Amino acid sequence: MVSTVCADSRCASPRVIERFKEANLTFPKSPEILAAKAGGQKVMGWVCTYVPEELLHAAGALPVRISGYGKETDLQDGTAYFYVNNCSFARSCLQLGLKGEYEYLDGFVAGSTCDAARRLFDLWRHYVPVPFSHVMTVPRKYSERALDLYLAQVLELKKGLEDHLGVEITDEALMKSIALHNESRSLLRALNDLRKLDEPPIDGDQTMEVSNAGSRMPKETFNDCLRGLLRELDHSSPVRKGKARIMIAGSALNNAEFIQSIERIGGLVVTDELCTGTRYWADPVVVDHEEPLKAIARRYLNNFPCARMYPSEERFQRMLRLIREFRVDGVISQTIRYCSPYSNDLPLLSDVLNRNGVPMLSLDVEYGTSGSGQILTRVQAFLEMLEARRK
Amino acid sequence: MTTTAKTPDRIDAILRACRLMLRMNKARPDARKSEVLYYEMLIDYCTQLATAKQQGRFIAAHTVFFPSEVLYAMDIVPMHTETTSWMTALFLGQYADLLAAGAEQGLSSEICSPHRGLAGALSIGALPRPDAVLWSNMVCDNTAKCGELLMKITGSPGFFLDRPFQRSEAEVRYFVEELRDMITFLEVQSGLKMDWDKLSQTVRHMDEQIDLFREINRLREAVPSPFHPQGFLELVTVDYLFPGRPKATEYLRTLRDEMAAAVAEHRGAVPKERYRLMTLFMPPMYLIGFLEKLSREYGAVSTTEPFFCNWGEGRLDPAKPLESVARKSYMLPESHMFGPMGEKAIGEIVDSARRHRVDGAVYYADVGCRHTCAVIKLFKDALSEIDVPVLTVDCDVVDPTITSEGEVREKLERFFELLDDRR
Repeated sequence: MVSTVCADSRCASPRVIERFKEANLTFPKSPEILAAKAGGQKVMGWVCTYVPEELLHAAGALPVRISGYGKETDLQDGTAYFYVNNCSFARSCLQLGLKGEYEYLDGFVAGSTCDAARRLFDLWRHYVPVPFSHVMTVPRKYSERALDLYLAQVLELKKGLEDHLGVEITDEALMKSIALHNESRSLLRALNDLRKLDEPPIDGDQTMEVSNAGSRMPKETFNDCLRGLLRELDHSSPVRKGKARIMIAGSALNNAEFIQSIERIGGLVVTDELCTGTRYWADPVVVDHEEPLKAIARRYLNNFPCARMYPSEERFQRMLRLIREFRVDGVISQTIRYCSPYSNDLPLLSDVLNRNGVPMLSLDVEYGTSGSGQILTRVQAFLEMLEARRK
Repeated sequence: MTTTAKTPDRIDAILRACRLMLRMNKARPDARKSEVLYYEMLIDYCTQLATAKQQGRFIAAHTVFFPSEVLYAMDIVPMHTETTSWMTALFLGQYADLLAAGAEQGLSSEICSPHRGLAGALSIGALPRPDAVLWSNMVCDNTAKCGELLMKITGSPGFFLDRPFQRSEAEVRYFVEELRDMITFLEVQSGLKMDWDKLSQTVRHMDEQIDLFREINRLREAVPSPFHPQGFLELVTVDYLFPGRPKATEYLRTLRDEMAAAVAEHRGAVPKERYRLMTLFMPPMYLIGFLEKLSREYGAVSTTEPFFCNWGEGRLDPAKPLESVARKSYMLPESHMFGPMGEKAIGEIVDSARRHRVDGAVYYADVGCRHTCAVIKLFKDALSEIDVPVLTVDCDVVDPTITSEGEVREKLERFFELLDDRR
């Protein structure tokens, strides 16, 4: 455990990482969210990284990413409403919604990103009603035409928020939100860059705690805390070693214990290709030559893509870039059962990695799993194979 | 290209099976003229596919609900991948071969069997090698994601048609431009030119066909139902394979007239109609014959299948053929199932149950289909409000190892008992 002290006065916890962990442990009813709600701020839930947080923030709301607990959870209700053949991430989200864990929400915004997200929106709207609900069409291509369509969707969401909240989302407010969110991305990049070191000062599971907290705390507080953590890490000694440097890829993952279980048996998790990790913060919004809304639309559509996008090559190339930058020895792909976009991409990804000499271990998991015996046995064998290759 | 274990394609075998069915149908004293036309169209479709290579014609493999009107207008031979691979599985009993071949391509068992099967069929050469692969996201993630692997398997170029999820004017315009890009791609790949007059003519036929589909649907509100118990599968296949084809118009007109005559004479499709059912989603293809027999035995008729037979509002305009093709994609009955499931879509189910006076609904919960299974509870709750019970049958649309004829029989018989008790 890295011992850190948050230098910022707004971070009361003596150990910043504990502050992030607390936000995750208490989620969805985290103290920061409840405090914002109690202070009269509207809280807007969002699903999938194709929903622009900046817009929700610029409307004066607190954006909160909808997820499960991030650990193994009883999904009885979620399964009854969703049926068993939908991914356990979506079922976990709905389970918490049905349990009243998100009772504070004033709105729910989703994108037509995958079958599960689309149906989560349908079921949420029907069985967990909130005052405002909105689904965005998200194109699957990267063309300028697709950008125009997505921009029209962003404008529609803006209008919906303005009408519902009775506010005007000004360019000035958007620019402030963009700056705030870009700072967050930049800090997360700085944190992740530390993992390029031979012996990084931070574990993969701790990085995941930070990343999770990023969409569960007010960004202002999150950024303050993360600055504090980076200052401490600057002065700490590199301590992390492992048999092999690992990238985690695949479906949504919030459970830091899953990564911890890999690290406990000798894996050094240095990077990831997850919507809850790198893909969340990868690209900034660039406003140099564009209107803020168009810049937001461009960033969200062209960001490090989910497997839903076409062509898949864009995602694969960005993965390969990370593999080179972080000197990854092997990829552990964890696909939530019934996650169609990632399942369908696996044969192609496997081929791409194979051609580039990067071994991959493919695991079928359920959302929230912390790494069962069988999974760990396979990971152990994979790590040993990677270790042997390094010698 | 990773095609393995090449065998001669099996279109000839499917063709022989269709010819046999046509002969059997013609020999029946009660054969419908429309049914004869239906099998003749299937034979034409398979003949065209079987002879395309010899004739040097360009074959485009495409996914379900793909606007094949465009292909017909370019004189390109369409190959509906899901349907042709299903036919291979069903008529030739080769589902296991195809699924195993799909698994060999690295597709997990959680990907729906039609998509695993079609990848398998192309990888072992059970279907002709296409000159191009076309796919879209009009249905689900599996259709949206299958194309790149199919391109790799076949070594063919491909085009992904991005069809927006919702139906605003901006989204329709986007789709029109996507269609235009696809036409350019096909012109480059095939050397053929789009015949806009032909497309316009196709749209004219399609517009009439949609009206006929609607009329047929209305006739099925009659008691007793004039259409045979699993007849909707014919209608679905007609739109899957022959949209805008003149013979499809002839088929639909003939069927409409046959049904109108039956309604006028109070003639039902089964000897004694006892249960009027709503069918939600697709029954297992390998049980169609069995379900037809069971339906006759119990007097149970599927009178409405909202997500296969309820066409959306609107008309097609031959003067704007490409825009019409785009708009049609949002009028398709299936688009209501795979689109946003708001109050309107749910309300249409309830309305359909009322209009068709159904006693109960049967939901075929295909284990591979996330989209359709995720709304089972929504539909059950909506239908319970008008006192229509729903039976859920867990199954797979292609793979018979998931559920057996005996299990389905037992479930349906119990359901019929329940319907009796409620009387």
